Amino acid sequence: MANKQTYWKGEDELLRTKDFLASQKNEFHEALPLDEVLSENNMGLSANRRDFLKFFGFSVAAVSLAACNKTPVRNIVPYLVKPEEITPGVANYYNSTCGACSSGCGVTVKTREGRPIKVDGNVLSPVSGGGLCSTGQASILSLYDTERLSGPKKINDRKNSPIEWSSLDSDIVNQLGAINAAGGKIAIVSGTIHSPSSLAVINDFKGKYTNTNHVTYDAIGYGGILSANLASFGKQVLPSYNFDKANVVVSFGADFLGTWISPVEYTKAWASRRKVEDATHDSKILTTFQFESNLSLTGSNADYRFPMKSSMESVYVTSLYNALAKEAGVAQLPVVQSGELAGGSIGQAAKALWNEKGKSLVISGSNDSRIQTIVNGINILLNNYGSTIDLDNHSNQYKGIDADFVQFVNDLNNGNYKAVIFWNSNPVYSSSMSRMIVSGIKKTILSVSLAPTADETALECQYIAPDSHYLESWGDAEPKAGVYQLTQPTISPVFKTRQAQESLLTWAGLAFKSLVDPFSNKTIMSQKAEASIYYLYIKNKWALMGVATDTAFNKALHDGVYKMEVKPSTIPAFSANLANVGSDLEKMIIDKNAIDLILYQNVAVKDGSLSNNPWLQETPDPISKVTWDNYVSLPKALAEKSHIANGDLVDVTVGSNTIKSLPVFIQPGQSNMTIGLALGYGRKGKIGEKGAFEAIGKNAYPFVSYVNGNFNYVINGVSIKKAEGNYELAQTQTHFSIEGRDLVRETTFDAIKKNPKAGNDKKAPHLYTLWETYDYQKDGAPNHHWAMSIDLNACTGCSACIVSCSIENNVPVVGRAEVRRRREMHWMRIDRYFSFTNVNKIDYHEDLFLQKDYEGDKITKEKGLEAIDDIESKKGDKANFDHWENVQVVHQPMMCQHCGQAPCETVCPVLATTHSTDGLNQMTYNRCIGTKYCANNCPYKVRRFNWFRYNDNNQFDFYFNNDLGKMVINPDVTVRTRGVMEKCSMCVQNISAVRIKAKREKRKIVDGEIKMACQRACPAGAIVFGDVNDENSEIHKLFKNDRSYRVLEELNTQTAVKYLVKVRDTKTTA
Amino acid sequence: MIHDSVIRPNLVLGDKSFHDVTSEICRPIENKPSTTWTVGFIISAIFLGIMGLTLFITEYTGIGTWGLNKSVQWGWDITNFVFWVGIGHAGTLISAILLLFRQKWRMSINRSAEAMTIFAVMCAAIFPFFHMGRLWVGIYWVFPLPNAFGSIWVNFHSPLLWDVFAISTYFSVSLVFWYLGLIPDIATVRDRAKSAGRKFWYNLFSMGWTGSVRTWNRYEVVSLILAGVSTPLVLSVHTIVSMDFATSVVPGWHTTIFPPYFVAGAIFSGFGMVLTLLVVARKVMNYQDFITIGHLEAMCKVVMLTGTMVGLAYITEFFVAAYSGVEYEQYAFINRATGPYWWAYWTMMSCNLLAPQVFWFKWARTTPWFIFMLSIVVNVGMWFERFVIIVTSLHREYLPSGWVMYSPTIIEIGIFLGTFGLFFTCFFLFAKFLPVINMSEIKAILKNRE
Repeated sequence: MANKQTYWKGEDELLRTKDFLASQKNEFHEALPLDEVLSENNMGLSANRRDFLKFFGFSVAAVSLAACNKTPVRNIVPYLVKPEEITPGVANYYNSTCGACSSGCGVTVKTREGRPIKVDGNVLSPVSGGGLCSTGQASILSLYDTERLSGPKKINDRKNSPIEWSSLDSDIVNQLGAINAAGGKIAIVSGTIHSPSSLAVINDFKGKYTNTNHVTYDAIGYGGILSANLASFGKQVLPSYNFDKANVVVSFGADFLGTWISPVEYTKAWASRRKVEDATHDSKILTTFQFESNLSLTGSNADYRFPMKSSMESVYVTSLYNALAKEAGVAQLPVVQSGELAGGSIGQAAKALWNEKGKSLVISGSNDSRIQTIVNGINILLNNYGSTIDLDNHSNQYKGIDADFVQFVNDLNNGNYKAVIFWNSNPVYSSSMSRMIVSGIKKTILSVSLAPTADETALECQYIAPDSHYLESWGDAEPKAGVYQLTQPTISPVFKTRQAQESLLTWAGLAFKSLVDPFSNKTIMSQKAEASIYYLYIKNKWALMGVATDTAFNKALHDGVYKMEVKPSTIPAFSANLANVGSDLEKMIIDKNAIDLILYQNVAVKDGSLSNNPWLQETPDPISKVTWDNYVSLPKALAEKSHIANGDLVDVTVGSNTIKSLPVFIQPGQSNMTIGLALGYGRKGKIGEKGAFEAIGKNAYPFVSYVNGNFNYVINGVSIKKAEGNYELAQTQTHFSIEGRDLVRETTFDAIKKNPKAGNDKKAPHLYTLWETYDYQKDGAPNHHWAMSIDLNACTGCSACIVSCSIENNVPVVGRAEVRRRREMHWMRIDRYFSFTNVNKIDYHEDLFLQKDYEGDKITKEKGLEAIDDIESKKGDKANFDHWENVQVVHQPMMCQHCGQAPCETVCPVLATTHSTDGLNQMTYNRCIGTKYCANNCPYKVRRFNWFRYNDNNQFDFYFNNDLGKMVINPDVTVRTRGVMEKCSMCVQNISAVRIKAKREKRKIVDGEIKMACQRACPAGAIVFGDVNDENSEIHKLFKNDRSYRVLEELNTQTAVKYLVKVRDTKTTA
Repeated sequence: MIHDSVIRPNLVLGDKSFHDVTSEICRPIENKPSTTWTVGFIISAIFLGIMGLTLFITEYTGIGTWGLNKSVQWGWDITNFVFWVGIGHAGTLISAILLLFRQKWRMSINRSAEAMTIFAVMCAAIFPFFHMGRLWVGIYWVFPLPNAFGSIWVNFHSPLLWDVFAISTYFSVSLVFWYLGLIPDIATVRDRAKSAGRKFWYNLFSMGWTGSVRTWNRYEVVSLILAGVSTPLVLSVHTIVSMDFATSVVPGWHTTIFPPYFVAGAIFSGFGMVLTLLVVARKVMNYQDFITIGHLEAMCKVVMLTGTMVGLAYITEFFVAAYSGVEYEQYAFINRATGPYWWAYWTMMSCNLLAPQVFWFKWARTTPWFIFMLSIVVNVGMWFERFVIIVTSLHREYLPSGWVMYSPTIIEIGIFLGTFGLFFTCFFLFAKFLPVINMSEIKAILKNRE
């Protein structure tokens, strides 16, 4: 029903007057208020023409001014089709195998939005055991290296020009075919390959080109051990060393915690035997004896370190053999010279070894197969095979036979090879036969390098077919017999590179053949297939190994590791004729009075293949704390004698080879009459396309000599001469003595067996605070108090944590000049202090030390020195510095201690650094104005100031200034701007991530779920993080541990980081 | 009524009449600048330019242009800051405390001493501002930042914040006090002015001063009140500056002796600077009759007294460090005297404790050139005192791993020299445009006033 009721507006409408009807015909039947609008009186809402123009003009000007603010254009490319496994903001993890060296550590790669941003050890891998060295950590940056080649190149007169893959392939295939048909020899020169599939690829290549010879060349090789094992046991392999099964290890110059064969694996095993918890009277820990010339990382951690002249090693090793042979009642080796070191240390070592027969281990870093044969003889005497040395489950980590390589170089230089392919080896840089190789390459018809950068060798070749980074590649590895690992790509190739195996398969004509997926039987025809050819190749290979289903393969891929059954370790038959070896060694001419040169590897830079990696260069050497250079490590006594001081330059000459102007570093602990020089520096020439790469340090490889079938890194008879000029090394720590301060507490194992609190019973009065203290148990506060414990007894000082922390937290690299100005940005550092060893062990000045009140176990270098100087000056003699070769070392990781009562927090005027309710000392970068007071007031000196803008600044041309390098930035951590203070945040991003996850899953955070970057890297497991308020947590127990103490406890800072007392297994110290 | 002592020596020499006083003091203002003034002003302005340039480089590139490092994060910047703040103290002391104590000899020097205070505080302020990593963010630091939980205020625990309050109060009170004293004299200059421009400007700044009894009365009252307000400031400012150090845990800083020690040091350095300026100014501007040897002698006595106090503090610090049994504290002081910066320590000791002892001799106190030399020594010594406290404490702290050396860069040196440019530029302008000696007060102490 419609509403019939009628309403009217006015009388006019009701009556429908004439006027009303007329007006209804107009569009606007009521008068418009035009006058009002147009009148001037109306508040200026109206405008006449001139005003209108004024307003118009103003508006246009205002709008155009506003438009002048140019908003930068930023492109966000969304996923058109979102990959199932990628959620923006959530990290994915893939297990893989590290490709930084041939140790083959299993790694876990963290990716964000498809970018790998962090590499950590894979806990499942028996090689890495969850830790990873600094080199492996830093290798991720090589993926985003602007110096990598963007595609295949043709080299003409050391200049490269781009070439298509297809034409490169056809060129190479044609030439290889022609050479092979003509019977010309082809060589593949590679570093150690322990990947079963890669070896199969080479075999396939050999199948096609029958004259191919595969030469394995390791820049720093272990050919001596390989040859010795061949002579002793008929097996040309490196054994597996089980440090965890030993009670005594005696090492002659083998830096097994730093650089020797597989340091991550060994560090883990070594640290696992240094635990002193619940020690009873019969408990044993792994006692380490180190005989060496350079003060190595291992030497710095050894219970007994004896300086030795490395050229005399054969004498000492023979003496040790004889001492043990005497115990065992077998024939001794003939000796002419006495082989005892000062203090009877060989005898001491022999006694310790004999007491732990079958549970001991003797190793040598020498590359002389004769010395290694005697070492094998010693281990046989000690029954160590089958327990601490395992030849049945041997290591594949290094396979280079030096004699084969030398043979190859001679053949190459004689023009016997018509084609040569270099894969993962750079002998033009890393071989002392560099010149012969260069001229040899010129004599070939075809020379190809598979190097990812235009390195020294590649520049001498005709073609570069750049290999992909290991994070872009498929692969597998067998670092130890029966331990298989997979490498999987975590990113599509950044450049137009192709992994070496695919290149070789292509040239062998196999890549285009049909390859069958062994599990689905699907045939994949060409390179354009959905999967990499090499991926299918590996699958085929693994199918033969017994991984025959998708499930099994995927499980192996998921774990990154596939372990075959461990073979029982047996005692091999020893077949070497030690008497012959011994008399052969006797004939060696060693000049006792000449200076030895010991070529060694820096713990971070290692053999130099990653020497353009800024993270590695900025990682301080664990002993000297020098960054960005190699240097002549000089003993104090020799320096005084030759009037050379720190900052001087010297020329070092061996035979006809001279390296000029090497900087000098006087190294306490460097054995007298020896000098050290690190390999792996001085990479020169054009690396990459960008232009000249400034050489860092000097190349010492030309000094490597060839003795008795192996490369020799200990050279007897070098001369040093002071050169013109000065050079300042960039060091992160320059003061070496702890000044007797109670910062590092240490005790002996004997003492701790009697009293678990030994060495940790100092109690000092402490300061009072002006301010309120924090209560973490208070109602309303979350039940967390994050804390960290660092076991000084496990920490070796290897510095992997420093690199890991820098990567995780986007800590900028500042370069040599800024490190010289003492402005390195590392959030974490390792303090290292020297002390003179105990009075009983010093033979040089025993009488002097006894006369003075030298405090035996207190680390006071000055007091000892003063005593010596004092007495010697009275005698009128020149000061004797011989004792400088014998020092003890302590390493102490130091980062923000997250004080409960933080000196930094109270002094910040703007509350930029505050205390969180869960015990963290937080930095609010946005609020920081940079008064730097907090850093001054920090007793631990862990705060770092952004003196410059380190990102997007070409003054700091490392990786923060280019788009490629920036891909490695962790998106969870702010990149700090100029003028802001920063410091360790306890990886608060990881805490938050886990907290959010736990909250979403409505559960409590599980102990051990949150891991710090440093903790993840640590191969020794020295760092533990957790909630100290959780009474069942490991950290809670560690905080209650008898060895637990705080640094600078007397300041009442109530730190959230506690250290565990260092324990040395020495008998002589009180 | 003011009663003059018959036996006291005259404070103003030369048997001056009121007119003499006015015309002599106004002479530099009313005449063309002398060559000495022009040359001095140009040199100062060049140094001011250097300051501008070096500060620009600092802000453009970053604090990294300075020589600071991971352990020594305050170096020349805060050394110079404390140095300049200290210099300011003599002005306030002379104008406030000596006024309250009715020390009439202050009258001919208080004006320039107060001007010095203001300029010195300006110089000092440069450093805390520019030593900040982000000057542009520092501007909002004093304002509360509102957020969901309420405002985030500044940190009232921080001595740096106390500094902000202390120094800004000090500066504003000093400025008002100085300006108040200037008003009658500006009026005098106004009354003598001949050109329209001068008339206008001096008229503006004399704020309608008539010289009536009522105005004089108010003037005297306000002066006394301001003197009363300023007196605690003399003590508080440097006390609070010293707390920047004393409240920290740094060995060598963490000590309760700092407040009195810093105040004494400030007065010492302030008088040193007043002497430096006035020995020159009285000669150049021919004010020997107003700033007499008697004035210089009185100031020398203050320098000797405060120098000895400071020296006592140095020795006390050593005793306390030894007595405390704290090894870090003990080392900090041994390191000062015998460490790599020993030369700085012994410069400080000899300049501040030993050198002023020559003022026991009347000859030394009354010989202007010698006083000038010694005042420079005092200034150098006091600069080194701050350097010693700041740098030698920081460079070797608790953990020997962080022990470093520090040396300034050319930029830091440029900024420091530049602040002298600022200081002297201001001082030259002051001497040219304002009466350097308080005419109205001087007239009150003339012996033969009509």
